[in-house]
Amino acid sequence: MHAPERLDGLRVVATPDALDHAWFEGDVVVFRIAHDEVIAFGAVVAEVPDEHAIVERETAFVGWGLSYPEFDDLVARHVEWPLPTERPALAQGMAAGLPVKLWFEHDRVLLVVSSGFAHEVVERFRLPAFAESVKKQDTRRMRA
Amino acid sequence: MNEFVETLLELTWHEPKSSYDVVIIGGGGHGLATAYYLATQHGITNVAVLEADYIGSGNSGRNTTIIRANYGIPESIRFYQHSLDLYSTLEQETGCWIMHATKGLLWLAHTESAMRNERARAMLNTACGAETVLVDPTEIKALVPQLDLSGGGRYPVLGASYHIPASTARHDRVVWAYAQGAMQRGVHVLQNTPVTGLIRDGDRVVGVRTATGDISAGVVMSAVGGNVSQIAAHAGVRLPVRTHPLQAFVTNGYAQGFGPIISDTELLCYISQTARGQMLIGHEYDRETSYSLQSSFQFLQANAIKMSYLLPFVRDLKILRQWTGRCDVSADFSPIMGFTDVDGFVITTGWGTWGFKAIPAGGEAMAELIATGRTPELIEPFALSRFAADHAMADQGSTGTR
Amino acid sequence: MLIITCPNCGSRPVEEFRFGGEIPQPPESITDPFERDLDQVWMFTNVAGVQTERWFHDAGCHRWLTATRDTSIDRFVD
Repeated sequence: MHAPERLDGLRVVATPDALDHAWFEGDVVVFRIAHDEVIAFGAVVAEVPDEHAIVERETAFVGWGLSYPEFDDLVARHVEWPLPTERPALAQGMAAGLPVKLWFEHDRVLLVVSSGFAHEVVERFRLPAFAESVKKQDTRRMRA
Repeated sequence: MNEFVETLLELTWHEPKSSYDVVIIGGGGHGLATAYYLATQHGITNVAVLEADYIGSGNSGRNTTIIRANYGIPESIRFYQHSLDLYSTLEQETGCWIMHATKGLLWLAHTESAMRNERARAMLNTACGAETVLVDPTEIKALVPQLDLSGGGRYPVLGASYHIPASTARHDRVVWAYAQGAMQRGVHVLQNTPVTGLIRDGDRVVGVRTATGDISAGVVMSAVGGNVSQIAAHAGVRLPVRTHPLQAFVTNGYAQGFGPIISDTELLCYISQTARGQMLIGHEYDRETSYSLQSSFQFLQANAIKMSYLLPFVRDLKILRQWTGRCDVSADFSPIMGFTDVDGFVITTGWGTWGFKAIPAGGEAMAELIATGRTPELIEPFALSRFAADHAMADQGSTGTR
Repeated sequence: MLIITCPNCGSRPVEEFRFGGEIPQPPESITDPFERDLDQVWMFTNVAGVQTERWFHDAGCHRWLTATRDTSIDRFVD
């Protein structure tokens, strides 16, 4: 299981057609959160064929990468609505009372929340708050 | 009124006449109090109160019986303080035991901004004649030793405004006291008589239609809770009112003598102990408008956990009962009392979640309005015409507890 | 449990949404422009029956949607 990683990217609001044909540089994960809005995690540069498109840096989210057994064990039982079966797929909604975005890939699930909810995610889903390496460093520092 | 209670009270029930000076739609607290004060203060007894079911079966029997005056605007504080004063002498006046008990009310604050609000509330209340003081956590703990000042580690209590004269009374007994007082003086209370329409003569309302026949009236007053928009529509009156469900529940008994009423404006829940010792827990009204009286599990779940943060002992109690009432919430969260644009049709509505505490003052003022044809000064700010005049009495922040 | 079908996100419990209220509809009988504005801003039909209303998908796509609900029984209708 992985510690949360900060997910930086671009948020783009544009016409649905322009978003269908948008291009993002690099290794990106694109969340189509509404017909006229995407969040492209990992993107720094975007080309959107819409002269009125709004492109803004998006730095508010954190995510946990979970294997499917981990997802089933820790998260799925808190979700009270049908999960998508196709891959990849985005699902947005409430889980354990928190607004989450779930990105289903073939071999893992990315659990994304606004960073203001990160501590609640840790508490409610029993997910790790820190990377193992950070924990070890902290322990060493405390001993010294 | 149920049959058991009817046998205990000395009441005479009547068949409806074809005509009355005043017909009041709605046999709840406000309707019956208006009839009572029409009879006692103005000698007007040719009055009928029409109730769709049994008296007190609507919101008068579903509220959580809190009587307080710690509002956020001077006009409201003055009105509710007068009501609170009338409540405190209602037992002597009517000779009926309404189980009135002064308990005090704590409005807890968990943040600095909430503390500023409560400080402002205490000062404004005091200035307007409603006794409210700011208390610190030590004083709160002395009032309520059961309270977890850390709020379960999530909602630390920084302080509270303490509204000292806040009280509770038994809601059915209030209804019965006014009904008995009115009926002994000749008022007709007609149960199981739903009003199906209003009779109009030109621009005037001149009576009501019921399933058992038409009744003509000099003045028709709507004291309806829950279906007021429908009644007003019969008169062609549009209201700035939305009807929301309000839920509450009680637990089994807890040791008698639990301190003041506790309300939490951040968690939007409140708790008091009933005369039987049950803990009565309520909440903000449901977000969506609805006339359904169905209660929900989500409500129980959310409020049980919130209250357990504040009062850990409630974890060991069992939920006995839950119920739902209908709240007519006005657009500015203040009541609507007085004349409408339609002659012969007066209204008291917009009582949202704050109607019970206003029964004596609302009834007294509406009786004076009907008897004299003039709006009493106390309720002038609450006229329906205030919306057209752009004088809304916005006070949502004071609806945090009922 | 009440379920709302969001065009973006699919079927979700009502707790995910914020209620936006009935869509203001001044009755045709009101013709004076000032009176119509007044009605639009302050008044509600508050129907006990089928109501057309707005909901905001707070926990999902952050978009408004229009739904019809029977307020007398608190159930959505198609």
